[in-house]
Amino acid sequence: MEYADRGDERLRNDLVEAHLGLAHQLARRFTNRGEPYDDLVQVASLALVKSVDRFEPDRGVEFSTFATRTIIGELKRHFRDKGWAIRAPRRIQELYLAVRPAVETLTQELGRPPTVVEIAASVGVSEESVLEALEAGQRYRTASIDAPDRQDGSIALRLGQVDGGFAGTDDRMLLAMSVADLPEREQAIIKLRFVEGLTQSEIAAQVGLSQMHVSRLLSASLAKLREAFNRES
Amino acid sequence: MSGTEQDGSELRTISEPVELSIPVQSDLILLARLTAATVASRAGFDVEEVDDLRLAVDELCVLVADGGSVGRLQLTFLATGNAVEVICTLDGAEVQDGQRPDEYGERELSIRILDALVDEHGEDFEGDQRRGWLRKRNVHPGPA
Repeated sequence: MEYADRGDERLRNDLVEAHLGLAHQLARRFTNRGEPYDDLVQVASLALVKSVDRFEPDRGVEFSTFATRTIIGELKRHFRDKGWAIRAPRRIQELYLAVRPAVETLTQELGRPPTVVEIAASVGVSEESVLEALEAGQRYRTASIDAPDRQDGSIALRLGQVDGGFAGTDDRMLLAMSVADLPEREQAIIKLRFVEGLTQSEIAAQVGLSQMHVSRLLSASLAKLREAFNRES
Repeated sequence: MSGTEQDGSELRTISEPVELSIPVQSDLILLARLTAATVASRAGFDVEEVDDLRLAVDELCVLVADGGSVGRLQLTFLATGNAVEVICTLDGAEVQDGQRPDEYGERELSIRILDALVDEHGEDFEGDQRRGWLRKRNVHPGPA
């Protein structure tokens, strides 16, 4: 590979640019876990740069495969370090919070990642509990089966599903203008709910309000939007 | 490796194939991930490898479902030597003898992810049956 041989900065940038789409796609695979998409893209993009710098062509692995592996690894690590942002029973959350440091400690002690049996012995719980906690902590997105694509979902489309009335370009424009008239916090909540597809609880965790409060703000915002829409149309 | 002692806990390798049948529904893929994780864990995979296998099984199901929503995914999980194999089949695929156009590059991405996470994988289709498989080796096999 030319960049590895010559270390040319321009080639490095070209390589990063050529694979930015991959970073975006992989970030999207992790978007149902309460983290803003933009943050995930940033993590994935940094990982891409890292993979350009670390790639060794002599190992016989294609760059895109190496980059995919590096980006997925960094996204997984990001969630591990970031803590808890998804819906899970309190028992599982506590278990995960015990398992996570145990994985790190054991990795250092053993010089390799631990097995589930080793983690279970260290935390003092069953293998099944560790697997349950890890599953909850590593929840992943089966994007293609039946989940709607959050990044492609417009506010108008989603609100249209609720109200059954918003369709067509004019309506979308009217809706966008009405959303812009809402207070900043309500705009952010509408975006998190209908563009990023977060649940009310996930939004509550992000904006620092209770789920009930988020629910009330959403209802009030939707009522205002309906009112504005009916008035104008 | 059955009966291996490790930190006082017995590793109970699953030597028989484990079979699972689920509707094509994203929230039920969780069952496939958990089963794969259990089989891999019993085979002595470390936690990183278990995580990778979990993601790979997700992608395998996505590939085999091919954007459809009818039929059931039949999954077989098998620990063989130092590896875990997963076979996923779907009878009643909506597209006969082929695949839907990969309009958004989702299929290509799934293949790329599988390339990165497992040692071998493949897929084939015949009539309304679609089949995908993967094989992942344990990078840190314990004592035999």
